[in-house]
Amino acid sequence: MTDEHTHGPGADEHGAMGTLHDDGGRAVRTGRLYGVLAEYDTPGELMEAARKVRDAGYTQFDCYSPFPVHGIDEAMGIKRTILPLLIFGGGCTGTIGGLLLQWWCNAYNWPWNISGKPAWSIPANVPIAFESTILIAVFTSFFGMWILNKLPQVWHPFFRNERFNHVTDDAFLLGIEARDRRFDAEATPRLLSDAGALSVDNVYLDPDRASRQMPKWITAFIVASTAFALIPFAIAAKARTSRSTEPHFHIFPDMDFQPKYKSDQPMDMFEDGRANRGELAGTVARGSLNADDLFYRGLENGAWTTGFPRQLEINEQLIRRGKGRFEIYCTPCHGYDGRGMGAVPQRVAATGGAWQARNLVDASNPVVINMPNGQLFNTISNGYNTMMGYAAQIPHADRWAIVLYVRALQRSQNASLDDIPPDHRSGIQMPEAPTP
Amino acid sequence: MSALQKSLNPEEKYKAGKLGQGLTRIGLAIAAVFLVVSLVLGYINGDHWKRFLYAYVVAWSYIFSICVGVFWLVLLHHLARGRWATVVRRIAEAMSMAFPIVFIAGLGFIVPLALGYQDLYYWAHPDAALCLEKAGTACHEYLHPTLVHKLGWLSPGFFTVRYVVYGVVYSAMAAYFMKKSRQQDDSGDPKLSEQLRVASGPAMIVYALITCFAAFDILMSMAPKWYSTIYGVSFWGSACVGGFAALALVVLGIQRTGRLTHSINPEHYHDIGKWMFAFTFFWAYTAFSQFMLQWYGNLPEETVWYKYRLFGEWQWVSIAILVGFWGFPFVFLMSRWTKRIVPSLVFFAVWQLVFHWLDLYWNVMPSYDWLPSFHGATQIVTGPLTGNTAYHHVGFNALDITVWIGLVGVLLAGFGRNLHGNLIPIKDPTLGLSLAHENL
Repeated sequence: MTDEHTHGPGADEHGAMGTLHDDGGRAVRTGRLYGVLAEYDTPGELMEAARKVRDAGYTQFDCYSPFPVHGIDEAMGIKRTILPLLIFGGGCTGTIGGLLLQWWCNAYNWPWNISGKPAWSIPANVPIAFESTILIAVFTSFFGMWILNKLPQVWHPFFRNERFNHVTDDAFLLGIEARDRRFDAEATPRLLSDAGALSVDNVYLDPDRASRQMPKWITAFIVASTAFALIPFAIAAKARTSRSTEPHFHIFPDMDFQPKYKSDQPMDMFEDGRANRGELAGTVARGSLNADDLFYRGLENGAWTTGFPRQLEINEQLIRRGKGRFEIYCTPCHGYDGRGMGAVPQRVAATGGAWQARNLVDASNPVVINMPNGQLFNTISNGYNTMMGYAAQIPHADRWAIVLYVRALQRSQNASLDDIPPDHRSGIQMPEAPTP
Repeated sequence: MSALQKSLNPEEKYKAGKLGQGLTRIGLAIAAVFLVVSLVLGYINGDHWKRFLYAYVVAWSYIFSICVGVFWLVLLHHLARGRWATVVRRIAEAMSMAFPIVFIAGLGFIVPLALGYQDLYYWAHPDAALCLEKAGTACHEYLHPTLVHKLGWLSPGFFTVRYVVYGVVYSAMAAYFMKKSRQQDDSGDPKLSEQLRVASGPAMIVYALITCFAAFDILMSMAPKWYSTIYGVSFWGSACVGGFAALALVVLGIQRTGRLTHSINPEHYHDIGKWMFAFTFFWAYTAFSQFMLQWYGNLPEETVWYKYRLFGEWQWVSIAILVGFWGFPFVFLMSRWTKRIVPSLVFFAVWQLVFHWLDLYWNVMPSYDWLPSFHGATQIVTGPLTGNTAYHHVGFNALDITVWIGLVGVLLAGFGRNLHGNLIPIKDPTLGLSLAHENL
């Protein structure tokens, strides 16, 4: 505000031109009368005043408060907002859009067989449809609220009034615009005072038209940033429709090409030309000493052991452990009975091939039966022919448990009824009756 | 947020008078008549009371869940320093004070169980323990390890102990909130509100835990092999739909007697309706979460529960619940007007109370058919959810209706017993705000 006192050009139809004094008693530049602004002490009084203004037939007025006041809509005679309907529409759009998106991606444009699952299945699509419903509904609600409230509004004539600065803090204000058909320069402020206003002020438009418009630089900024934001899309569009021999863009080249060596890269600085310096002679990595030949390699005095390491207690629990590990790691090829016809060989057979894994329990060709325990352990650890080693997947003790279980399997697969304790034999002869 | 207060209308009739006694008498009469009829029907059924007890568990879960739903409003109101619900809080307190009588009524199936009845819960059947004896050796397909590990928890003795604990804790909490609230009617001491606010936090935690465990024990263990950790939450969602629907009807019933006609208006019905709507969706959300994870995971011990609900006769009940308990009320309760126009809200409250019952029926009854099977030479009972889905029937029975009405009579009696004195907390500091409550 300035000390300058001027009469703006062009008085309005009410002829209301005046000088407004702020708290310091200084005259501020005034122009055409925009409206009157009244302050009330409590939300309740504001609501009462709004009711009176509404009943007097005013339509171009608004209430300003630091927080939402329940019931103010009814007091002001505002029609209910159509926003809920818009949100409902947005939500439905989200649901249908989400479903269509999934149908188009998964079932129509690029159907992809994942473990034989159907490409289109409603339950699997519900979470995405739910999320897109929420997303579009929330966007509609957020931006719809802005649009219906004519936001963003960076400038308002009431901003020129000192009291208005408190509206986000503790002031309850009611403003009536001069363009209301019922507006009267004398009757309107009186109505507001009679409704219990603490004060009633006239508010004038700034005569300087430029001050009521958005600054040019903001417009320029919005246009420039919008154009700038389109650049990546333009590049993507160009790349889709043209060919180029140039290498890829590197937005962060120092991240893509870091000044460091990886273990398999060459390096001229060393005589052997490698960046990797290997282990120093005589050092052992933590946890890799494994000095116990029997436990870690199945060797006893340089030959395959026929026993088991002392660390392991041979009992039923260990056999069960071995059974579990065997059924996880070995059965895909060797089968549950160890005869070499697991799921993989069955699949090979089903596709017309002929391959089977080693029969571990074959008594007529007892290669595996005659193998010492240590050799079995070594085979599990390091593999044999096309079988890969399982040292990385299975800890040492579990490998021994598997050896133990394979021994039990060899015994059971070649057993006769006499091997079974007499009190357990009855159940085995009994055929299983079918379930209804 | 409004700073507007209103004071109680001097013409308001807020004394219960004879209302409570009348309700108790009517409730007890209904209970007596319908439970006697049910006993006769149960006896005629000639299945050693199995069908009767299944109907009893469904109906009991129903009245229990309504108390659970209503009591939640009391706890939440204090915990969140609620204001709108002050005018209906006393009614909610009186409804949740039906807990003791509800838990006494539950003895109707707990006592037979404790005395060794085997055909209600499969885990109480000796065949369920066969696998324990044969641990590790060949088990029947049904005698799954998940069941073996549960048999310690699910034993009739321990189950009964837990049931008593649930009953005592629920009743004690409801009684505490009722008592302090009534004390405030006399003294008007605002510190009592403070005390209840402090108590509501821990009470909410205890409430959440025992509600989950009660749902696990009484409903989920109907299919003892199956498990779902969200089951208790889903049950609670369904319970709150029933609770708020019942609250809306009870408030309307009281207003019909000429009481509270000035204090409770469509603004309050609107908020009750909002909660009903919110829990309708919350229930659907949790129920679908449970379904989708198990459907996607595709593990036999989990999908078995849905197998017998999505195939055979039960699929029609499943579809009815999806559409009736969620789809239809969800779409229509979304609007502000269906909640504010009282006849419309009442329609949806009745609707949801019916479908809440169907939901509980759908949770319990697929476990009814136990098929015989053979284990070696011996015939054993394989328990619920086994065999061909074609052998499993929805099998509505007159007992479902008679026991249900009978136990709702018990609920009304338990409610009426506490409906005395003031029907609104007349000296609650937030009463003025609640009376002036308006929705944005």
